[in-house]
Amino acid sequence: MINKKFLLVILSFVTVSIGWITLDYKAVEVPYVSIQDLQTKQYEQERFRLGGYVEPGSINYSDDKLTVSFNLTQKKSNLPVQHFSAAIPDLFGDSAEVIIEGKYMNGVLIADNLMTKCASRYEEESNTY
Amino acid sequence: MISSLGSSFLIIALFLNIYTIFSMGIFLKYKKYQFKISSINSLYCSTLLIILSSFILIRELIQSNFNIAYISKYSSTNTPLIYKITGFWAGMEGSLLFWLFVLSIYSISVILMYKNKFTKMMPWVIIILMFIQLFFLIICCFFEDPFKPAININNNASGLNPLLQHPLMVIHPPLLYLGYIGFAVPFAFAIGALITQKIDSDWIKATRRWTLFPWGCLSVAIVLGGRWAYLELGWGGYWAWDPVENASFFPWLTGTAYLHSVLIQEKRNMLKGWNIILIMSTFTLTIFGTYLTRSGIISSIHAFAATDLGIWFFGFIIIIVLFNFFMLWKRKNLLVSQNKLDSIFSRESGFLFNNMLFVAICLAVLWGTMYPLISEAFTGIQITLGPSYFNRVIQPFGIILVFLTGVGPLLSWRKTSIKSMKRNFYRPSIFSLICTSVWSISYKVYDIYPVIYTFLVLFVIYIICSEFYKAVITRVKIHKETPIKAFVMLFKINRTRYGGYIVHLGVMIMFVGFIGKAFDKEANISIMPNETIELEDYKIEYQKFWLETPETNPENRSNHFSKIISMKIDKDNSFFTNLFPEKRFYIDQNNQPHSEVALKSTMLEDFYVVLGDVDMKTGLATLIIKINPMVSWVWIGTILLCIGVIICLDPKIRLK
Repeated sequence: MINKKFLLVILSFVTVSIGWITLDYKAVEVPYVSIQDLQTKQYEQERFRLGGYVEPGSINYSDDKLTVSFNLTQKKSNLPVQHFSAAIPDLFGDSAEVIIEGKYMNGVLIADNLMTKCASRYEEESNTY
Repeated sequence: MISSLGSSFLIIALFLNIYTIFSMGIFLKYKKYQFKISSINSLYCSTLLIILSSFILIRELIQSNFNIAYISKYSSTNTPLIYKITGFWAGMEGSLLFWLFVLSIYSISVILMYKNKFTKMMPWVIIILMFIQLFFLIICCFFEDPFKPAININNNASGLNPLLQHPLMVIHPPLLYLGYIGFAVPFAFAIGALITQKIDSDWIKATRRWTLFPWGCLSVAIVLGGRWAYLELGWGGYWAWDPVENASFFPWLTGTAYLHSVLIQEKRNMLKGWNIILIMSTFTLTIFGTYLTRSGIISSIHAFAATDLGIWFFGFIIIIVLFNFFMLWKRKNLLVSQNKLDSIFSRESGFLFNNMLFVAICLAVLWGTMYPLISEAFTGIQITLGPSYFNRVIQPFGIILVFLTGVGPLLSWRKTSIKSMKRNFYRPSIFSLICTSVWSISYKVYDIYPVIYTFLVLFVIYIICSEFYKAVITRVKIHKETPIKAFVMLFKINRTRYGGYIVHLGVMIMFVGFIGKAFDKEANISIMPNETIELEDYKIEYQKFWLETPETNPENRSNHFSKIISMKIDKDNSFFTNLFPEKRFYIDQNNQPHSEVALKSTMLEDFYVVLGDVDMKTGLATLIIKINPMVSWVWIGTILLCIGVIICLDPKIRLK
């Protein structure tokens, strides 16, 4: 008897958990897109993640040095990026491989997250963009 | 020359390994005892060879033998000695050899410890361990040979990445490996128990310490990894839900569930099948974690290179999973439990819920980590779930789990009466409610999660302390001991129970730190010399800036030059501290920049400064200043957790 009751408790727990885990994704989803897709397609999500290289010579700092703007390149397409932060990652620079995350507004990606490939990357990465 | 010796040792070890399995198989089939002896002897030899080749690699690392490709990549003549040695596990090939080294040490310890025990089960345990070892030997011999000669000999190699040249990186990886690989031992015992059809409590008791030890190592390793990120990476946090971090978290979660559920098997002889499933999952997840980090299938800031090795690990995982299912199916009639749960309000059901929660968290994190792959398979777009997903999803599970941590000790086995529950809950609830309300009102904190967590953490801490208090008082009365002696005696009499409480206490103290995270504050500022700014209760004065080079300071700056600024910080109008954040440039690594975090830790909060850059002409500096409350409690909690685990690792095992 008690074990049936138990099974019921477990089953309801599992159902509720699955429901909770898969609930409402649009707010937390960050699609990993290419520049071309970002510029041409319509997305429901707010935030995007892109990978690519920093176009050499495109890095510009604001006067107070708190905002950096640069162009992200993937094969042939380019995307202007703006990022507000006092400390950009150490490995950031011309031709650095970066992953950026943020909102896309008026043709510019306002990045709130700028990542360069990290130190525990043990081997040379092949060129995938 | 000596390097080819290393390679040959590994290849001989590979053959010996195969022989060990083969010969043990013959022993099992024909019961010819000499084959068992021969099998174990060859195991000793292969272990010895693996250890020897590890030492050869270390020796070559120390001597900077750049004829070996691996060493020319991860070491340089300027690298300090200790980091030359840690080069052993800094790269792919070396870390696989290190994996092998640790596994062989584990195997041999198990064999020596249980030489004359579990005579039926042990041969199978050895076979399973040797199969795992075989996989890594194949990888080391044929795909990622650490002794491979360098193609272009470069006598001025770049050396270990400066980010990894940190004392924590000396201990974090070995501990992580001790944790990961250690789970192979209980896994091998579980399979051995299934094969020999002896799945009673014996194998559980035999592997208790073999589970607790890796679990402790893994826990500490995860936290140390976080601490390293906090001190070195300069984004001011210790956990980012990065796939590589999650990879170490999966087996921790199922391993923790396992540590709890085995107690039910010991006391009530229930959940035998479940325990086996849990340890199978834990081991599979350790291999899966390695696969995630080694294959680069999920892009991560830690991403190791995408290599062909992934396919081999993937194949290995498939084999393990299929084998697990096969074994469970084959022994399904053994796994039915004879005892039944008597009541929902019992300790065993408490443990059961604990298990469900740990597994649920594990699945949620796994789902979030794999989501980019899953979404790509279905929609064609890789969609990442940010930290907000993990933080949102895990909170309710975490809340119930913390609650259960407190409730568990108050529940009795089989059935707890409602009356005794009310009696036991009354005081801690009132205590915690008053404290939480006072805190929440006086600091005007009305966010739901921090308040709930604070309430629960205080509730649990009260219960644990009162458990100790009650037990000490009883001993003082009955045995006429002094309170201190009584306290010490508790650990001697019931190590697991009271050691476990200490672990729980440690985790609760860590939670104090996690709660503090909700109140982190960050400011990005740009500032000129002699300028002063105010931030919260702090007044920050930027005094001066200068450059240090290997010429001006050869003692401390032998391999880098550094831009440094000095800051004076006042808190509530009295002197708080001086800080000197730096921006370093490592010469051997093409002047790779690195921000050296400046940090002042107190029990209440951390004042954390990262120097973005400083213009050496004008002195204009950009800084990220973070005020992180309660971070120290995470580290203190970990120390307590460590002490608890050590107490639980009872040196005297009681076997039937």
